[in-house]
Amino acid sequence: MAGYLARRLLWAIPVVFGVTLITFLLMHFTAGNYVPGLELNPNLKPSDVERIRENLGLDRPLIVQYLDWVGVGSIIQAVGLAGLLGGSHNIQPGLLEGNFGRSLIDGTPVLRDIIERLPNTIELTLTAIFLGAAISIPVGVVSALRRGSRLDQTVTAASVGGFAVPQFWLGLLLILLFSVQFHAWGLPWLPSGGATSPLGGGDVVDRLEHLVMPALVLAFFYLSTWSRFVRSSMIETLSQDYVRTARAKGMTDRRTVYVHALRNAVAPLVTLVGLELPGLVSGALVVEVVFGWPGIGLLAFQRAIQTDYTMVMGITTFAAILVVAGNLLADVLYAVVDPRVRYA
Amino acid sequence: MIDSAQVATTQPPPLEAARARPGRGFWRQSWDELSANGAGLTAAGVLVFLILVAVTAPLTSHFVTHYVPTAQDLNDPFSKPSRIHWLGTDELGRDTFTRLVYGAQVTLGIGFLTVAIALTVGTAVALVAGYYGRLLDDVLMRVVDVVLAIPPVFLYILMSILFRPTAITLSVIIASVGWASLARLVRSEVLSLRTRDYMLATRSLGAGDLRLILRHLVPNALPLMIVAASLALAQVVLIEAALDFLGLGIQPPTASWGNMLSNAQVYFVHSTWLVVLPGTCIFITVLAANLFGNAIRDAFDPRLRGAA
Repeated sequence: MAGYLARRLLWAIPVVFGVTLITFLLMHFTAGNYVPGLELNPNLKPSDVERIRENLGLDRPLIVQYLDWVGVGSIIQAVGLAGLLGGSHNIQPGLLEGNFGRSLIDGTPVLRDIIERLPNTIELTLTAIFLGAAISIPVGVVSALRRGSRLDQTVTAASVGGFAVPQFWLGLLLILLFSVQFHAWGLPWLPSGGATSPLGGGDVVDRLEHLVMPALVLAFFYLSTWSRFVRSSMIETLSQDYVRTARAKGMTDRRTVYVHALRNAVAPLVTLVGLELPGLVSGALVVEVVFGWPGIGLLAFQRAIQTDYTMVMGITTFAAILVVAGNLLADVLYAVVDPRVRYA
Repeated sequence: MIDSAQVATTQPPPLEAARARPGRGFWRQSWDELSANGAGLTAAGVLVFLILVAVTAPLTSHFVTHYVPTAQDLNDPFSKPSRIHWLGTDELGRDTFTRLVYGAQVTLGIGFLTVAIALTVGTAVALVAGYYGRLLDDVLMRVVDVVLAIPPVFLYILMSILFRPTAITLSVIIASVGWASLARLVRSEVLSLRTRDYMLATRSLGAGDLRLILRHLVPNALPLMIVAASLALAQVVLIEAALDFLGLGIQPPTASWGNMLSNAQVYFVHSTWLVVLPGTCIFITVLAANLFGNAIRDAFDPRLRGAA
């Protein structure tokens, strides 16, 4: 296990490196040397523009800019080889030193903005994952136990349909029903956007009211996949020899199903849930936009539209690192839950 | 792009099955299986109908609705469905029915083009990586890992800023992420096909790499590719609609179901149907594509054959 972990960690290094390279190149070709509003500002002389560019290091060769951003630049400088980088420009610490750069819009450190928004996104996705698992496991188990029944058929149809519902559309429909129509009908209604009410909000009830719709939309997405998965996994488990043995020994149905079979049937779900962990940050982007939920996805979306390239670049890299870490975690979790899995 | 859990790796039919039904080859058997699947046939029918709608959109616009999808009538915004405007009008008085019909062109055009690009690139990478193995395999699969590690939604955003989104660039953008999961899937199949006896036999007869790949690997991996492609279509339609909705895809005034929804969310308090209609179109298309994909998978998977 330890050896396997070490190898997986080693593999992760080139992957993360590749991610930073792709992100950087995409950003470079998207943005080039563009700084929003710089050329358009009538108060700046061309020489000022030139100086600002120089300060931002945009006049340097591409490879140097990349190394600086990753943080190799400042290491090279630290060991006294700055000459290699062709000049005396102002080298900032980079990704390796935990510096994701500064926003082009308001100059705040990218990492600070990310960390500020992170709890909101994690709150939303974890709630959705929890809701998804809490509903899909019983639904999957019951439809496996009553295979072919009307209930099973309904669940199957619903999950096939669930796959086809666009998240943003479901979000809009929920807002239409629970915010707009309920309000019009004089019923208690749910807020249509944000994480808290602008005035006097922020207590637990207020937060939950804002959380429920976006979390449901996200959970809905997991439900279709997971309930199908639990169902087929349970059907397979129930046909195993040890289940027959348990029954043959006179064990009650209830005990056989809920104590012996259930555990083994649900174990593989851990991998599926684990696969969603990387999506903790990015998976909710569309939902965050629809509900104005102030998470990382909404931040990335808004800043992308405002051409705040360093911010989008930082968020993408941050999310990608989480994906790599999350995949690793999913593998480890699976080995912990299912002892049959052994990594050589 | 596709959920690997959805696609079971297809094996060639076991010998017993072939013996039990003499005279019917794998493709014939799959076809029979498919044509016995009611839901799959219905889904295929819906897809064919949607394709027809998309192809004949200009005719519909000219002869049936008498509206151009971008023609505005500022005197008649948000009109309810009527004899003149079958499904009402939007905020600029544009005919919703005509726009929906044209939206089918965007959705299906981008859907099929994206799947075609992703499948071509993904399969090519998978064949090269899986067949030659060793260093080439390691390098190519690491590239796949990298692409899959970046959350796709950020890649879409970055690239939509980079390229002005048109139907073609949008297909390339979505395919540039989608090829990776297809490559991973097809490669695993190639790895197992590579070691089959017929490969060794053909090689010992003097066949070259190219012949082995094109004449022996590709045809045997084809069922898996078809299954993966048909399930990928549904995913692409959803992704494309979401990008249009976010304003990162097809730009107005060109009508697409996604950007119609984007407009509608501003006015949906008083014009509910503007939200309901395009969403329903997306839902039906994705549902049909998924059901068809499932039917194809069931038809090609011999392990499911006769289980019904």
